[in-house]
Amino acid sequence: MKRKVLLVLAMITLACGYLFAGELEYFNVYKPKAGMTADEIMQIKYFNKYTLFAQDISFTGKAYFIDKSGSTRERATARKRINLGRESDGIAYKDYTVFTGPTQVKGLCNLSWTYLNSDKQQDVWLWIPSLKKVRKISASQSDDSFLGSDFTVEDISTRRFGDETYKLVKEENFKGFTSDFYKKTYYKDTPCYVIEATPKRANWYYAKRLVWVDKQYGTNIYEEKYDSKGQKFQYIFRWYEIHNVSSKEYPIQMLLEGENLRSGHHTVIINETVEIDKGLSEQEFTEGALSRSRW
Amino acid sequence: MFKRILIIFALVTAISLPAYAELTGENFTLTGAFKNETGMRLKDSLTGLNKLKNTLELAGEYDIKDDDLVFFIKTKYGYDSMYDTRKKYDFAEHYMRHTQRSDWLRDCYIDYTKDQWFFRLGKQQVAWGQADGITILDRVNPVDLSEYWLPDMSDLRIPLWMANINYSPKLNANLQILFIPDFEASTAAPAGAPYAFRSVTAFDNANKLAMHSLQVQNRFPGKQFDNSTFGLQWQDMIGDLTYTLNFLNGYYYNARTVRIGTSTLYNRSFKRWRMYGGSINKTFTNPGPMQGITMRGDFAYYNDEPIYYGNPSIASTSGIKRWDNIFWLIGFDKTFFTNWLASFQFSQYIYQDSKVKDAGITALTQYPFNSYTYGAQDQVENIFTLKISTDFKNERLKPEILWSFTDDNQGRISPKATYEIKDNIWLTLGMHYFYGSEYDSNGQFRDENQVYTTLKITF
Repeated sequence: MKRKVLLVLAMITLACGYLFAGELEYFNVYKPKAGMTADEIMQIKYFNKYTLFAQDISFTGKAYFIDKSGSTRERATARKRINLGRESDGIAYKDYTVFTGPTQVKGLCNLSWTYLNSDKQQDVWLWIPSLKKVRKISASQSDDSFLGSDFTVEDISTRRFGDETYKLVKEENFKGFTSDFYKKTYYKDTPCYVIEATPKRANWYYAKRLVWVDKQYGTNIYEEKYDSKGQKFQYIFRWYEIHNVSSKEYPIQMLLEGENLRSGHHTVIINETVEIDKGLSEQEFTEGALSRSRW
Repeated sequence: MFKRILIIFALVTAISLPAYAELTGENFTLTGAFKNETGMRLKDSLTGLNKLKNTLELAGEYDIKDDDLVFFIKTKYGYDSMYDTRKKYDFAEHYMRHTQRSDWLRDCYIDYTKDQWFFRLGKQQVAWGQADGITILDRVNPVDLSEYWLPDMSDLRIPLWMANINYSPKLNANLQILFIPDFEASTAAPAGAPYAFRSVTAFDNANKLAMHSLQVQNRFPGKQFDNSTFGLQWQDMIGDLTYTLNFLNGYYYNARTVRIGTSTLYNRSFKRWRMYGGSINKTFTNPGPMQGITMRGDFAYYNDEPIYYGNPSIASTSGIKRWDNIFWLIGFDKTFFTNWLASFQFSQYIYQDSKVKDAGITALTQYPFNSYTYGAQDQVENIFTLKISTDFKNERLKPEILWSFTDDNQGRISPKATYEIKDNIWLTLGMHYFYGSEYDSNGQFRDENQVYTTLKITF
């Protein structure tokens, strides 16, 4: 009996070793388990962030940019992603984002291809309505603002597992976050891992992040960024809705809210509709498809 | 009267419909914009108003069958009130004051998608190539240069009725076939307008001296199948490099006036030509010193391109030659310091020869002309552009500067800054500074430096 238990434990250890030594396998659902290391938890967190459990996903939503005086600007977007995880050409996933409003920016489209090799930058194409043309563009720098929001490009699309070192600081029940936009409190008393993430890059725009990861689903529900003086300068909140697809639980981010504490500028991004695994064609994520834009 | 109605309608619509969403149904989307452009000629200080143009744009999309069958239309009508207030420009008003003929219809087409096929049938513009602001492969549509090259490219191109047929035999590859039975000539500002080419002004002056006896015979291509324009583009990827191969066979959209013998008759005859070319683009994504740099390139071989020649000192055309010329460009883009984007382009327009070399004409009249100014054209014209842009206040304020110049010490510097006042109200403040010899493309406007504002209200 003892030998059997040892054998099973050895197999589990081996399986876990395989699982976390490399990338997690696409199109599976992973959840944290007791006793996992900070690295293992963060790997699941990134897997969920980029919805790698799904074949494809489409969103429509709105973004609100609110300055200190309360003046609010609005953007409407439609986004699609197809996950590939393909070794042959090294492509992890392809994203397509189009502004659907307001009129001034309507039609501006962005197509990006992200590679499995995290050292490799994205390939990015832009449909520019004023030129009526597709332009290959230099990928935005990771510390640049994402579409004018309070989030950086890497907060949304380029930060990968391995860009930071991770340390499990504590486990606690999250105090809850009250959304300024919805006037509602989310995740009160939700059990979380609190992980300290330190960028490997020297002299980066933040010195560390404290990340609250939901123990049940492995999603990053809240984070705080600190500068080199230990001053908190930003927070980001994320709310996930659990969608049951083919008897699997997919955590889908539906609300993203954050504030730059230095400027008092505030951003809210809402996903209003979501469609999962609808069989999107990869043909929709090509430069040719982008050039068919009308606006 | 009409312009007042137009302005009042635009303002009332813009104010009463602050949210674009209210005009959007399940299958139908309607948007619009009212734009005021005010320009001031710097040389005239505070009295130098040279543009006061109000434009109303309306665009609609109707999804007939989901996203597979879609009808799209865009209209634009502009009225420049400057021609009502400034007598100086009166003689150009017939052309410049309001949108001409059918130019108000900017897009009117049906899109049909079925598996690997995509059809766009109707009035449209097609942009080829990777160059910014330099039309090397971007020759499918004629251009309206009534405000030089200052407006956006989408406003410069004159849309044409055409069939745009696309087939994707494999992922990332596309074969585009264009059949264009329509023809429009490229246009330029008439004499007296702020950005009238020196050549146009010279002809107008000659006409005045001749007591308006000079007559121009426009010889447009006849409306028959043989006179259609045909285009082909093959696009594919090799690794992470995208390339296109392009071919265009049609009528050249520019024609110049050539005197018939010693008479007062001038011919403006459009000629057929062919363009063979290709483009590339690639971003260096792998770690290394090149990482983050995007490289773009266009190459075109112009076969039988009409070249006008004559004596540049008197800006008089002696005749026309058909030359084989080369136009190519390479460009690099890179983002620096978080959000500063630098974009550099180098281009060469290489003529077949430096002179016409015709024993039957005098040496003074053998120079190929710059097609805009009728000044002497270098055999190799080196063109450079540098654009730097960034943003502040969460992308609410977007400044940029464009410097376009050639090796003849002539060019244009155009700084501008756009500020988003509200979602639907955008204000731009900018300037165009020209320098160089009056015989050069930009230098001819050295007395036309301009500051301008653009206020755009969208709904």
